[in-house]
Amino acid sequence: MYPAIIENYDAPKSVDEALQAFAKRGSESCFVAGGQSLMQAIKARVLSPKSLIDLQHVTELKGIEYNKGVVRIGAMTRYRDIAADERLDGAYQALRDAASHVGDRQVRNRGTIGGSLCWNYIAACMPPTCMGIGASLELVSKAGKRSLLAEEFLHGPLETARRDDEIVVAINLPAAPTTCGSAYKKWGLVTDALPVVGICAYIELGDDRRCRVARLAVGGLATGPRRAEAGEKSLIGVSANDGLAISKAAETAATSTETQSDIWADADYRKKLIETLGREVIVTAFARAEQGKRS
Amino acid sequence: MNYVGKQPGWIGRQFNRKEDYRLTTGKGQYFADIVVPGMLHLMFVRSKHAHARIKRIDTSAARAIPGVVAIVTGEDIRSEIKSLPQPVVVPALPARYPTFWPLAVDKVKFNGEPVAAVVARDKYVAEDAADAIEIEYEPLPVVTNMEDALKPGSPIVHDGWENNEMFALTFTGGATPDSQATNDAEVDHLITSADVVVKGRYRVHRCGVTPLETRGALATWDDADGMVAWITTQRPHIDRLALSDVLDIPTEKIRVIAPRDQGGAFGVKAPFYREPILVCHMARKLRRPVRWLETREEHLMSVSQERDQIHDLEIGATKEGRIVALRDRGLADNGDGCEGVYWGYLMPFLGSALLPNAYDLPKCDIKVRVACTNKAVLSPARSFGAYPTRFALERAIDRLARRLNKDPADVRRVNLISSLPYVTATGVHYDSGDFLKVWDHLIKTIDLPKFRAEQREAWERGRYIGVGFGVGAELSGVASSVLVPMENQPGYGAATVRLDPRGKVQVFEGDAPGGQGHETSMAQVVAQEFGIHPNDVTVTHGDTSTTPFGSGTIGARAGSYTMSAISTACRVLKKKIARVMAHDLNLNADPDDFVFVDGSVIYTKSDNVRKTFREAVERIIMAPLNLPAGETGGLEHTAFFEADAPMICFSAHAAFVEMDANSGQIKVTRYVTSEDVGTVINPQIVEAQVQGGVVQGISNCLFEQFVYDEHGQQLTSTFENYKLANAADVPSVEVHHEAGTPCPHTPLGSRGLGEGIPGAVPGALTNAVCDALKPFDVDINELPLRPNSVWRALKEARRAAAG
Amino acid sequence: MNKEISIIINGEVYQHSVPIRMLLVDFIRDVAGLTGTHVGCTYEGVCGACTVHVEGEAVKSCLMLAVQANGRTITTIEGLAVNGKLHPLQKAFNDHHALQCGFCSAGILMNMAEFVRTNREPSEAEIRNALIGNLCRCTGYAHIVDAVKDVVGGAGSAGAARQ
Repeated sequence: MYPAIIENYDAPKSVDEALQAFAKRGSESCFVAGGQSLMQAIKARVLSPKSLIDLQHVTELKGIEYNKGVVRIGAMTRYRDIAADERLDGAYQALRDAASHVGDRQVRNRGTIGGSLCWNYIAACMPPTCMGIGASLELVSKAGKRSLLAEEFLHGPLETARRDDEIVVAINLPAAPTTCGSAYKKWGLVTDALPVVGICAYIELGDDRRCRVARLAVGGLATGPRRAEAGEKSLIGVSANDGLAISKAAETAATSTETQSDIWADADYRKKLIETLGREVIVTAFARAEQGKRS
Repeated sequence: MNYVGKQPGWIGRQFNRKEDYRLTTGKGQYFADIVVPGMLHLMFVRSKHAHARIKRIDTSAARAIPGVVAIVTGEDIRSEIKSLPQPVVVPALPARYPTFWPLAVDKVKFNGEPVAAVVARDKYVAEDAADAIEIEYEPLPVVTNMEDALKPGSPIVHDGWENNEMFALTFTGGATPDSQATNDAEVDHLITSADVVVKGRYRVHRCGVTPLETRGALATWDDADGMVAWITTQRPHIDRLALSDVLDIPTEKIRVIAPRDQGGAFGVKAPFYREPILVCHMARKLRRPVRWLETREEHLMSVSQERDQIHDLEIGATKEGRIVALRDRGLADNGDGCEGVYWGYLMPFLGSALLPNAYDLPKCDIKVRVACTNKAVLSPARSFGAYPTRFALERAIDRLARRLNKDPADVRRVNLISSLPYVTATGVHYDSGDFLKVWDHLIKTIDLPKFRAEQREAWERGRYIGVGFGVGAELSGVASSVLVPMENQPGYGAATVRLDPRGKVQVFEGDAPGGQGHETSMAQVVAQEFGIHPNDVTVTHGDTSTTPFGSGTIGARAGSYTMSAISTACRVLKKKIARVMAHDLNLNADPDDFVFVDGSVIYTKSDNVRKTFREAVERIIMAPLNLPAGETGGLEHTAFFEADAPMICFSAHAAFVEMDANSGQIKVTRYVTSEDVGTVINPQIVEAQVQGGVVQGISNCLFEQFVYDEHGQQLTSTFENYKLANAADVPSVEVHHEAGTPCPHTPLGSRGLGEGIPGAVPGALTNAVCDALKPFDVDINELPLRPNSVWRALKEARRAAAG
Repeated sequence: MNKEISIIINGEVYQHSVPIRMLLVDFIRDVAGLTGTHVGCTYEGVCGACTVHVEGEAVKSCLMLAVQANGRTITTIEGLAVNGKLHPLQKAFNDHHALQCGFCSAGILMNMAEFVRTNREPSEAEIRNALIGNLCRCTGYAHIVDAVKDVVGGAGSAGAARQ
């Protein structure tokens, strides 16, 4: 219910200060972003950090920048601000789909994209979405910088490639051709619940208006978020009005994804959800790709 | 001459609640808001095991933490506190009552049982200390399945018991084994020879109505004056008696106060629990104030768990759909059974007693068995045991209708009780009401024929919509004739009405509301009686030092019993005021010749003969001279109300759903109720009770479930896992009470409602789902109702159809 | 383990030395003595009864530490009415009987106060969606939705809200 004793609290104003703080406090420190997941763990005493380094005042980590088609989202950008940014359409619209339905509006006022990715909870929306849209993460430490694709960064539930002394500073979305669309949908027992299954589809159309690149990323899995590669392959060459092929692709994604049973759904039903939600997001992604990017 | 007041009456009129100002501005006084200087914080350590012997408890590290004042275990208190059962909290029903203390002694019997308690000056430190306590257990075999628990060879939950059966009862066929055997044979014959028999196993999972405010107890002790305890309880007077007996505190030295504002209760705060006993004991032992505030995790692990019944139910019927006989074998999972007053089994007891519901079923054979397992004991939840029994019979009726290819609405109507009063085959008395009128109003409101036409059309286009029905004949208060044997407690409603010299009124009553708006509706009743304004009336409740004895806010007592006591007391005082006035004005008049209206007392035979209410009252209290012979000064009266016979209130529900036949997803599109609440005192409050009760019923049916794994570990101890319906999950309920009839047994004609509302919901919802998916012949008889289970049922139905 | 912090709550400065681990909701209730904000769950932060405004935005105060609010401006339910004048939502809640036990009400009012300020004429579905972060056990949500509808607009409503 109440956190264990916390000895230190730092509120750095820059990434450098944050890294200094970590160096000073040592490995029993935690960075805290929005705290909507981390605080649950700290209050439950699942985690009992000696020091907290609060990133909420590091303004350089906030905001969304558009530069020659590349989008750079500061890691401390809140769900609410992602959801409201209408420039995130077409190839990136899945991000808004996901961000606008995380938790509830109070959570969206505090929770951040960086926090969600670093926590990589089994039932989270940002991980599969970032995987699906081909995002990469920029990490910084005293030793230097590095960039990892979302699928390199995200491991099993609650595990990522981030070293304790690293801070994720930004999520970079690659420049996408105008004929791209993405979409995300999830299912939970109650409206907007943590996803039992969440799936992101990304479709890029060629000049022939057929799918040239497809990505399907599934969250809610005991394995951690996963690409459904067999499903992706079967979308290549498919056009938006080919309902049968789309259904088959969704089905393939479902059957080829390893699912688990728990109190929310049995493994078979999870596959059913991957299939039904998968079909919906693929259709939407195609439609958005056909519309072309507006900005 | 009839004097008609200019001011409209207060009964049946919308009147904004008086409670709201403080509750919407942050000035409510809930349990956690009460601070006593120097109060210490108590935190429980709870068992991680579902069943284990306690080998060793090491508190040395915990004791060393600065700020820790005391730590106690079961061994420490077993000689200091009397164990339960104690007569004061034991029903007069034949059951086995397990011995238990507030902390586990010898062994733990469920994951979450309190094992030790820490008292510290700071609540955060209390948790640090609780974490530092080391307990060594020797795990024992665990039983988590109620059927297995009753099989030979099962692990035994209570040492010394030869099996896990805590309670068993036959509800029908009279009082002797012979009469019961005769009845059972008759029922068997009727069923066997019936045109059609519908047999099924109906299962409702473990869920309940957890309130948003958790429990708490804060006790102070003074060697001279004794104990004052604030407890989140629905029943302060009962708790006071129980604490007095268990802790050997003379009753004059113990005061229990239910906080003025409570964040919901729904039955969860009615039992006599372990924790307040220990808190009071520690306050006395330490001679310092001690407070326990329950965490949500503790709460979800130890209380609010109800339903959890299996019913093997058979009905025999004519081919017209008229049920001729019913046989039910009920089974309930009662966890460790350790709970004062209710002992968990009273819920399945009452549920089976109410199984016949509003249907005319004179020939029944109903039996129940209640098993102990390694889980938390059942604690009361709104609908009190009847949620599963309602579900079972409503599903059985729909399945009967399907067999006979009739509309379930028609089969229901043919079986509804058509004339009251009525006594069920289980001996429950229904006092009054016109069930058919209420039912017909529902059917008319939803325009069933039109819906059936829409449904047929929808099916043709591959859309699956459906309607399902449920009814409830629910307790409207609980008479002494039921409460005395069931709980060793009286059922009367009691209230003191006190007038003051300025013509204002104070009402004192001993129950403890948790959101029902009693301060407002009671003020409306008093205002109506005296012809004054509800703002001139205040209500004090829940404090055993200042209120008359009340059995508590349970079973919808307020609307039926307590209101009636208030109104009775007002009428006694009115008669006195009238007598004095007649005497003062030298009128040869009866009390009936005076009306109280528009702030005045008026002689009806000549309406310029009048006094203001204030004048009339002030004269009797402050200037009691020249009173009529035999009359004394003062204007205060305490009345007790008991109804002639137990009373009910009836409602009929219709749930509409749209189903996705591919994924099994359920959408509740519309929900309509038709209620008989008798005379309505405050229409908004009545409607709100239905809105809330139905949504609880929906939430239980679709979302909530307490889950134990095969080792008895609880998986649903946070709101992330025990999911309540949110605002986007449910529709607004369309509530209709136009078809009600006044109750002939209460002074105002009012009925108590609220208690049983969720009970009609699971039948209505599940029936709607099966109705929508009728083309697939889906038959669902187990809850929770989840898309996953619907999808599985559809798969199986398709497989069966394919051959 | 302790840190000196300064938080403005309802226009008043609270300057205290508090344990770093103290939750913001406990600072509000126990240190500032403002008990209108409630705690309904343990650590999961799901029930929303603890919702307050931080810089005018609705957040769950049980998911923050007091030290995280250092230097911030907070509004609690006690600060929703200004100079005794009730917020239109508070009045609408009374008119529409949008509360029974009242335990969830402060959190809902604070959430909705931000919502109505930032959403003109939302649909019923949007209102219900906005309420997801606040659990209510008593009302079934119907009257709460009616009260919010009354405040946000539509014919004959109480008018758009001003914070």
